[in-house]
Amino acid sequence: MIELLNLTKRYRDFTAVDHISLEVPQGALFGFLGPNGAGKTTTLKMMAGVLKPTSGRIIINGMDLSRQPSEVKRCIGFIPDRPFLYEKLSGNEFLQFIAGLYRMNHAPYLGKRIVELLEIFELSHWADELIESYSHGMKQRLVMCAALLHKPKVLIVDEPMVGLDPKAARLVKDIFKDQAENGTTVFMSTHSLEVAQEVCQEIAIIQAGRVIASGTPDNLREKAGVATGNLEKVFLKLTEGKTGIDEKSLSSS
Amino acid sequence: MVGLGIVFWVFMFAVSSRVLGYFQSVEVIGDLLAHHLLSMVLLIFFSLLVFSHIITALSNLYLSTDLELCHSSPADLDELFLSRFIYTIADSSWMVIIFGLPVMMAYAYVYRPGPGYYVALFHLGFALIVVAAGIGVLFTMLLVNIFPAQRTRDIIMLLSIFLIVALYLMFRFLRPERLVDPDAFFSAMQYISALKAPDTPYLPSHWVTETLWKYLRGLKGEGTLLNVMLVWSSAVAIMVVNMWTARAIYFAGFSKSQEARKRRGGRKLLDALTTLAKKPLGDDLASIIDKEIRAFFRDNTQWSQLLLLGALVVVYLYNFSVLPLDKSPIRLEFLQNEIAFLNMGLAGFVLSAVSVRFIYPAVSSEGKAFWILRSSPLSAKRFLWGKYALYMPPMLLLSGVLIIATNRLLQVTPLMMLVCSATMFMAVFGIVAMGIGFGALYPNFGYQNIAQVSTSFGGLMYMIFTAIFLAIIIGLEAGPVYVIFMAQAKGSSIALWKWFLIIPSFIGVVIVNCVAVYKPMKIGTEAIEEYE
Repeated sequence: MIELLNLTKRYRDFTAVDHISLEVPQGALFGFLGPNGAGKTTTLKMMAGVLKPTSGRIIINGMDLSRQPSEVKRCIGFIPDRPFLYEKLSGNEFLQFIAGLYRMNHAPYLGKRIVELLEIFELSHWADELIESYSHGMKQRLVMCAALLHKPKVLIVDEPMVGLDPKAARLVKDIFKDQAENGTTVFMSTHSLEVAQEVCQEIAIIQAGRVIASGTPDNLREKAGVATGNLEKVFLKLTEGKTGIDEKSLSSS
Repeated sequence: MVGLGIVFWVFMFAVSSRVLGYFQSVEVIGDLLAHHLLSMVLLIFFSLLVFSHIITALSNLYLSTDLELCHSSPADLDELFLSRFIYTIADSSWMVIIFGLPVMMAYAYVYRPGPGYYVALFHLGFALIVVAAGIGVLFTMLLVNIFPAQRTRDIIMLLSIFLIVALYLMFRFLRPERLVDPDAFFSAMQYISALKAPDTPYLPSHWVTETLWKYLRGLKGEGTLLNVMLVWSSAVAIMVVNMWTARAIYFAGFSKSQEARKRRGGRKLLDALTTLAKKPLGDDLASIIDKEIRAFFRDNTQWSQLLLLGALVVVYLYNFSVLPLDKSPIRLEFLQNEIAFLNMGLAGFVLSAVSVRFIYPAVSSEGKAFWILRSSPLSAKRFLWGKYALYMPPMLLLSGVLIIATNRLLQVTPLMMLVCSATMFMAVFGIVAMGIGFGALYPNFGYQNIAQVSTSFGGLMYMIFTAIFLAIIIGLEAGPVYVIFMAQAKGSSIALWKWFLIIPSFIGVVIVNCVAVYKPMKIGTEAIEEYE
């Protein structure tokens, strides 16, 4: 379960995330939608412990991230939008490295788990090659292997479909659904409405750092006053076609 | 930067003029020296130009990101190659020209040649650059056709490191200090032959030297035609050969350079090394160390610098072995121990210089993959102590070699050996901690080249603080060590009141070391925790 309480992130005068409060139940596949620059990645980075919030709290599995960072991170798997990795390690070595960080190097199931994940993400043949020779999509799939390696209770995923071919994208969607069915909470940011519509049970829309609507796709349609049709109409209606960047501040500068 | 360049330029001109002016005043061998110097200068410039063209051509012809666009355009391959060739010449030559011009102008200032010298300098200089460029580009094309471009870059980089190490060792072992000590030579002829630069009549730099020298000696270019024709015909010929070669193999090489790099061998060796290094540590720290060792030894730009470090240590020890201590008016025993004591400062400086290159960038070396550690359960504190644990053993080993070996060469007393070894052993803890701490305080995860991290503001601050740290330690020990040493030398006992000076000084050294370990690591940990 994830709770965000008045979460705020400021960079000098600019407020990237503005008092966000959300509650995501265990086993939910939650979509975090918003236009470019709305504050999605900043929110996710704070949840993963990569960025420090200016104020507010992040509660994951009943633990406060600021008070018990190591314990919280132990039950999180984070997949960022850009897969920056250690290029001089092989895929296999990278997964061993991640296992070490989670102190599971001596776990009896580790070897089997690595083989299994590499097979699922179709990286077995590349396991002993250096990451520097991987394509963007392969690196993204390796990050997913790493995020799932320690069987996290919460998956935080930023734009997971970027750089993936249709087959890999299908695979990833199925894996996320499967994870949610098995009790893992998946918090996924995306700007792809098709992806959100297809896989998410609940959605929050963020704009200019604030959550402007949240609920099931049907709830959102109701709030937007759009009776039928896909999420695109709902999204455009709720955001009124604006970008995430504060247009007033841009025009004044 | 322009101001600095002008100052350097004027400085080069002034020094060269002064040296040449002095040569001219020396009878018999003055002109010989000036001629040899010109030959040597041109040979060095020519070698630098060839080498610089090899490196630049690799980037401009094979690795630049805009090449994909160029090759997908309807531009003719000949035109594309030629434009890149010219671009490579401009890119590689400007610095050599800027550095070379004040020296050549100094020759003109001292020897006052006619206008023919300037004309010859201009056109022969240009032809020499074309020849160097032709050789460099041709070599690169052949190399890329044998190895993939990524691998070629590694090979060139390794060759350059070997070259620097070899030149460095060769220069040192030639003992240039003997040239200012005429007693070391039996005759003037032996002295002259010691000055002779390597030269060969088959090199373009030789042809240019001979032509320019004739103009400088006021011979108005008589008998220079053959040399001028040799230089220009070589330039034209090498251009033609380059164009033919480019038509045959350039595109094939470019295509090959797009291939992904395959993993190389050495895995078993790395496995053994990492197993040994991580044995006493927990899973998470062991992982950090394992990753660090693998990344270091797979990156040729990193491990190859160990060769430079090796050369540095060899020369360091060699310098101590050739110290002319017997010629000093000070008593040998005092001098040996005095040097050994001061050597702690020098060894400390070498250790901090090595540390600023290898340890200070250790935090930044995580690069853009730092998010992996930030989102993992590993705390900032453990992360930094993991790095610390990795770098301590090699630094202790290095300090041991620098101190114990030099002290043995100096044949110091057992007391001095103990004091120096113990002091440096402790200081290494502080030097490494400060390297990690400052590296964490001024991290640069978005670096283009890891070497730039060392030369940043943080690197400078680190060097300043380690210098202060070493000065405090040596300052604290100087008095007590002197008192103990003198008492030993005279065979007398130390007065009781002096122990009240000696004991607090040594305790002070221990406290300073503890602070130097604790404080930087704490500040570094806080900086990493707050890093965004």
